Amino acid sequence: MSSELRTIIKDSLFTGLISLALFGPIVGLKTSSKGAGLFVTPSWTPVIFLVSACIIGRFLIGLNSIRKKEIGFISKITSRVSNYMDNKGKHFAITGVLFAVVFPFLPFTDRYIMDVSIMILTYIMLGWGLNIVVGLAGLLDLGYVAFYAVGAYSYALIATTFGWSFWVCLPLAGLFAAFFGILLGFPVLRLRGDYLAIVTLGFGEIIRIILINWYEVTNGPDGITGIPRPTFFGLPFKKIVEDGENSFHTFFNLEYSTMHRIIFLYYLILFLALITNYFTLKIRKLPVGRAWEALREDEIACKSLGVNPTNTKLTAFAIGATFGGFAGAFFATRQAFVSPESFTFIESAIIVAIVVLGGMGSQTGVVLATIFLIGITEMFRDLEQYRMIAFGGAMVLIMVFKPKGILANRKPTITLREHNSK
Amino acid sequence: MSKTLLKVENLTMKFGGLTAIDDLSFSANNNEITSIIGPNGAGKTTVFNCLTGFYKPTDGQMFLNREDKTVNLNKFSDYKIAHKAKVARTFQNIRLFPVMSVLENLLVAQHNELMVASGYSVFGILNLKRYKDKEKEAVEKAKYWLDIIGLTNRADDNAGDLPYGDQRKLEIVRAMCIKPKLLCLDEPAAGLNPKESSELNKLLKFIKNDKKTGILLIEHDMSVVMGISDHVVVLNYGKKIFQGNPTETRNSKEVIEAYLGVDE
Repeated sequence: MSSELRTIIKDSLFTGLISLALFGPIVGLKTSSKGAGLFVTPSWTPVIFLVSACIIGRFLIGLNSIRKKEIGFISKITSRVSNYMDNKGKHFAITGVLFAVVFPFLPFTDRYIMDVSIMILTYIMLGWGLNIVVGLAGLLDLGYVAFYAVGAYSYALIATTFGWSFWVCLPLAGLFAAFFGILLGFPVLRLRGDYLAIVTLGFGEIIRIILINWYEVTNGPDGITGIPRPTFFGLPFKKIVEDGENSFHTFFNLEYSTMHRIIFLYYLILFLALITNYFTLKIRKLPVGRAWEALREDEIACKSLGVNPTNTKLTAFAIGATFGGFAGAFFATRQAFVSPESFTFIESAIIVAIVVLGGMGSQTGVVLATIFLIGITEMFRDLEQYRMIAFGGAMVLIMVFKPKGILANRKPTITLREHNSK
Repeated sequence: MSKTLLKVENLTMKFGGLTAIDDLSFSANNNEITSIIGPNGAGKTTVFNCLTGFYKPTDGQMFLNREDKTVNLNKFSDYKIAHKAKVARTFQNIRLFPVMSVLENLLVAQHNELMVASGYSVFGILNLKRYKDKEKEAVEKAKYWLDIIGLTNRADDNAGDLPYGDQRKLEIVRAMCIKPKLLCLDEPAAGLNPKESSELNKLLKFIKNDKKTGILLIEHDMSVVMGISDHVVVLNYGKKIFQGNPTETRNSKEVIEAYLGVDE
């Protein structure tokens, strides 16, 4: 028996020990109430099953690392993919957008797939919005969902109170979110890294708790109902049409279908997401975008060059928040209902995970990470609460094979080569 | 004929009970290289941090004479020193933006001008020609400096990937991109080999003569100090112990005592 094999066996047995310590109490001991008291009933079969799965799994991974073949194979694929992205990134992006445009009319798309795609696109938009704050400016914001909430509630309140249309309320929702972005920005100007993360996390919770408790305005935990559905340039998606009124299907002489509204929502979020993307790509190449990245790299050097760190950080917070607000407004109109429950910390965590795992600052990375994380989680929806295991598993996979994120290569915003060739 | 560029009067900096700079007065002239030397812990970098707005001095005044007016440096804090007063600096441990390209590093230094030209990003987003032209101008300026330090062919590489000596030079020209009146260099020759440090001397002389920029230099490498300084200020324990030209400094009894100790 080689020494390598011996270490692998030792390793697997140790893994088994740890998993026993974990699964023993969590899975093995169950409480059941019989009559008056609470009793502990041990069930060891699933524990044995889980522990042996861990031992075998660890053993197989160990064997693989001896041969290096399988792992090498995967990292070869991933490095090829990122190479391809570097060279042909533009083609990929255009193909991706074209695919997204024709997607609703492909034969296999049904209501469920459309709903999931709308959700994925919402997360992509949020990821792109947060990418400005986290990826470019390097300000770790764990409370991004607060701006999403502000956008959603602004839209909900304005639309239900004044009855204004979506296209009027949308910029207002963005404006409100930007205002809150600056409001958060001021106290955290001096903070970096862990400290900033904690404060922003707190900010996210503050907003949620205000939404729960400010009953007169937000209707508390009951949320706001009856938010107007979006209209197609003034044409509602209604089945029953009163005399003298037009609906989408009557105007275009179509058979009524609920899919019309879904497809419209899909294009709406696609449009909003692409605007976010265009804006980010554009602003990255402007002085303010370069200042964000410089600030992420070295704040003291920035000051010595006359870059105003206060303004630079506040614009990052404000612009990131604006897109969060837009996404929130879309969320409100899509659901026709908002409540504080939709804006918990886990949402912020998912968005941060998307940005970090996608590769900080990479726009395509955000798309891939969202499809991977949200897509996998959705595929395991039947497992109910255990689907978060799939979410965690997807994260672990990315971290193992791509520790710096799926697409970690940064491209310069301007090159001398391009400048000279002009 | 040379006019006073920088005038420091009775500068004092205290950190709690520790007096890092004690009633220091000195001046530096236009188009000259003024070196500040002294043993470790003499307070040289603290002087720089006061001058460049990173510290607020406990007491004392600092004035910068510009063609048009005299600026009181005490009135500016951190980033405004570079932006408004036009005092640039480099750092003892190089502070580049390592994952940004060499060219981008030089563009960040021109941030304020570009920001105005881009209409605080509004014109830039709209893709207006006015901004495009200004950006081209900025790239040309960066290219000019890269040609001088011989890094043009590495303009698109990450600044962090450059060899140490090139990083030093890049940091200096990056500071020059803000068009400073006074350039403060904190140990620019630290860690350079003899060839690199003679290149550095050439670069500094060029900046002094062709760019009409006053240079304030902290340095331990005496070949650099003696080779290029017009004027030397010697500090020890936060006090000025000597001021004069390099030859005088070399022969000064106080300076030798401060560096080598006193014969009992």
